[in-house]
Amino acid sequence: MNVPGPLGLSGDSLAACVQCGLCLPHCPTYRVTGDESRSPRGRISLMAAAELDGAPMDDEWLEAMSTCVQCLGCETACPSGVPFEELITTTREVMSSDRPAPLRLRLGLRLLGRPRLLHWGVRTLAVLQRLGLVPRSGLFPARLPLGGGQRRSTPGGDVLLFTGCVMDACQPEIHDAVVDVLVAGGRSVERTGEAVGCCGALHGHAGLRGEAMRRAEAVMAALPGDRPILVDSAGCGAALKRYGGLLGTPAAVAFAERVFDVHEWLAANAELLPEPSGLVGQPIVVQDPCHLRHAQGVHGAVREVVGPYATLVELDDEGLCCGAGGAFQMLEPELAGGVRERKLASIGRAFERSGARTVISANPGCAMYLAAAGVEVRHPMEIVAEALEDRHGR
Amino acid sequence: MRRMSGRTRDPLLSALISALDAQRVQTGDGARRLYSRDASVIRGGRVGVVCFPETTEEVSACVVAALAHGRDFVARGAGTGLAGGAVPCDEPVMVVLTRMDRILEVDVSRRLAWVEPGVVNLDLSRHLSGTGLHFAPDPSSQQSCTIGGNVANNSGGPHCLLYGVTSAHVLAVEVVLPDGEVVVLGEEEGDSVGYDLRGAFVGGEGTLGIATRICVRLTEDPPDVATLLLDFMSVGAAAETVSAIIAAGMIPAALEMMDQRVVEAVEPFVNAGYPTDAAAVLIVELDGQPSGVADEIRQIKELARVHGARSVRVAAEEGERERIWKGRKSAFGAIAVIKPDYYLNDTVIPRTKLAEVVQRIYEIVEEQDLIVMNVFHAGDGNLHPLLLFDAREAGVMERVLAAGEEIVRVSVAAGGVLSGEHGIGLEKKRFMSLQFSPADLEAQQRLRSAFDPVGRANPAKVLPTGASCGHVTSLGRLPDGAWV
Repeated sequence: MNVPGPLGLSGDSLAACVQCGLCLPHCPTYRVTGDESRSPRGRISLMAAAELDGAPMDDEWLEAMSTCVQCLGCETACPSGVPFEELITTTREVMSSDRPAPLRLRLGLRLLGRPRLLHWGVRTLAVLQRLGLVPRSGLFPARLPLGGGQRRSTPGGDVLLFTGCVMDACQPEIHDAVVDVLVAGGRSVERTGEAVGCCGALHGHAGLRGEAMRRAEAVMAALPGDRPILVDSAGCGAALKRYGGLLGTPAAVAFAERVFDVHEWLAANAELLPEPSGLVGQPIVVQDPCHLRHAQGVHGAVREVVGPYATLVELDDEGLCCGAGGAFQMLEPELAGGVRERKLASIGRAFERSGARTVISANPGCAMYLAAAGVEVRHPMEIVAEALEDRHGR
Repeated sequence: MRRMSGRTRDPLLSALISALDAQRVQTGDGARRLYSRDASVIRGGRVGVVCFPETTEEVSACVVAALAHGRDFVARGAGTGLAGGAVPCDEPVMVVLTRMDRILEVDVSRRLAWVEPGVVNLDLSRHLSGTGLHFAPDPSSQQSCTIGGNVANNSGGPHCLLYGVTSAHVLAVEVVLPDGEVVVLGEEEGDSVGYDLRGAFVGGEGTLGIATRICVRLTEDPPDVATLLLDFMSVGAAAETVSAIIAAGMIPAALEMMDQRVVEAVEPFVNAGYPTDAAAVLIVELDGQPSGVADEIRQIKELARVHGARSVRVAAEEGERERIWKGRKSAFGAIAVIKPDYYLNDTVIPRTKLAEVVQRIYEIVEEQDLIVMNVFHAGDGNLHPLLLFDAREAGVMERVLAAGEEIVRVSVAAGGVLSGEHGIGLEKKRFMSLQFSPADLEAQQRLRSAFDPVGRANPAKVLPTGASCGHVTSLGRLPDGAWV
């Protein structure tokens, strides 16, 4: 039942938090600040204060809500099953309707919906990078592609590969690696490409529900049928799987059931994977993107799929966020930087323990943000694709 | 962190800001709201100012500023307390220690470590992984609670049955005394000369000063560990098995009981394979040399059979062990699947009276038309009945408080004590006279006054004498409209 407050939150969802505090260490912003107002427990308490107690939604209150990365680490940690995603998403929607998002965020998000323009922009940026005119940033890779990659696609293929927006423009080689592996396993792959474009994840993240719904409807309309939709970006996968909840229609629920993280799908179809030729090379550290581990709960699949090809090393931080958080790193650079420092320390310990020098991450946002701090980051599917090359090479 | 807007004319604020900085001194409505509660239903007053010091000197400066401007001060860790120990009363300066979270030194050969008070309990043991050592006290909230808070409450935990509570693992403490002076109580090695002031300080609930560096004893990891899950058709049979295990001369590392409601609440979260149809389960952990552990497993299986256990499961691998423990340690947090609020009591009774007192608790709760979940440290008779309710229901608090009070009375009458490990805080101070004579209480007040002659360190807590707390002097007398 919704309570008649300014946020329109469910009273039962708010009451589900018993304030035990077991979420605290799993919240990246609390870990960095030690401040209750930067924790899930504190944020829920402040939501309840505004909703039930008439507390002012002043700058202090707004800042508590806008500093949430929305990593959902708290949902995984909560024994009472508090639906934090529902609470923070609804709160952010009310906030964004009261106060428009920053201009640069709105412009950036608009660009995501225009793939041609995005590709053109990325190529321009790639040229400028080569000329040494672009400072290093977590928003795009240090070496953007000049060309478009091989972009092999089979219209009407067995499975769809959701190529998205930023990743398609910035990291086409990752999509190529996925296609190589699937094709070698005997499946034809159709890339969704520019006609489908952005999934709306970042719009939803920013509280722009209307735009997120429009993107969802466009994606669904462009991908009819019943072929499985494979996704190699954890952020996009989490968003696509939530279309049912976002649109609330039977068609959206059915669409979401067709969506699989590529590792999740391959773990269930392991016979398609290349024959491993033994564990070669250095060990590799696995970084779990929050949208894979907390939002989708399929991080185990990365280990199942990559495990046969490399010795995998675990981090010691129980899946704490890396600070990228979609646009979070741009909007809250200082806080994001603090969160990333903790992740880098954990990666450093794992490197020291194991001799590994490389991290794998199944989300482009995390990969780019960590790479900007000097870490060598690969996509898990690139490791699998390399096993394929090794085999062909011999 | 938020910057305070504009300049302030308040001299206390000016002093605090010049000692720390504007970002680490907060007075907003939100901060004052959040730092006015802990993990319990206990409510006091409102915080005056919230401070986030990062060094011993800054803690001392906060204390000195509070004193100079006639304000109380309260120390706070992660706010996972269950007795209101860190709940403010009269607009105090709240000294939040979560930013002091450095592990300063680990000396593996001497088995000790110096840590700051904001270090999270489990983080220390994680940090020690690979050294063969760990920090033994393991409260259920260990993933969140701070070592400073453990020291303040002399916290226990499942493994304290064999290894002892926090006090046995604190060698020395650097303390900011209530007048701002910094002293070190205790010694890294050997007994200190004279009175054991370290011993007096541990469990002081922030009334004797603020710990700013803690020297903890590290415990060797046992060579072998076995975790057993025993399953019973009645709580009485489980309780009798507990007594039988101890009577047989064994002291398990941990010996925990959970009743059916607890098992039903946590199983969907942890998937540990708990039998949800059992009336009670026991978790028994054995550690030591492999041959000794194997022998004790045999003995416990036999005792369980004699006392009517349906099954005894020995965890086959580390993952299974962890899931069993995660269920136990998630119990308090998992209650919202049944009701949105809990009142967690904490009393200790003689182990031989477990079956009888636990039965009486079920009756008391039924008389008040409430729901109870029983999950507790059975091995040392430390009960944790969780009373579940929905605070939005009219009149429910009165029934909760009546049941809580009766449970305390029954426990003390059975020869037990008021609190096992959560502390007295605001919650239990009105019961202190059930256990202590006026002369006992007077002696404790004198100790407190020796540390804090002006009564500014977390006043209105622990002892029933002294100032009352804001508008709530006891759980039993809530003002109209107070949100509990």
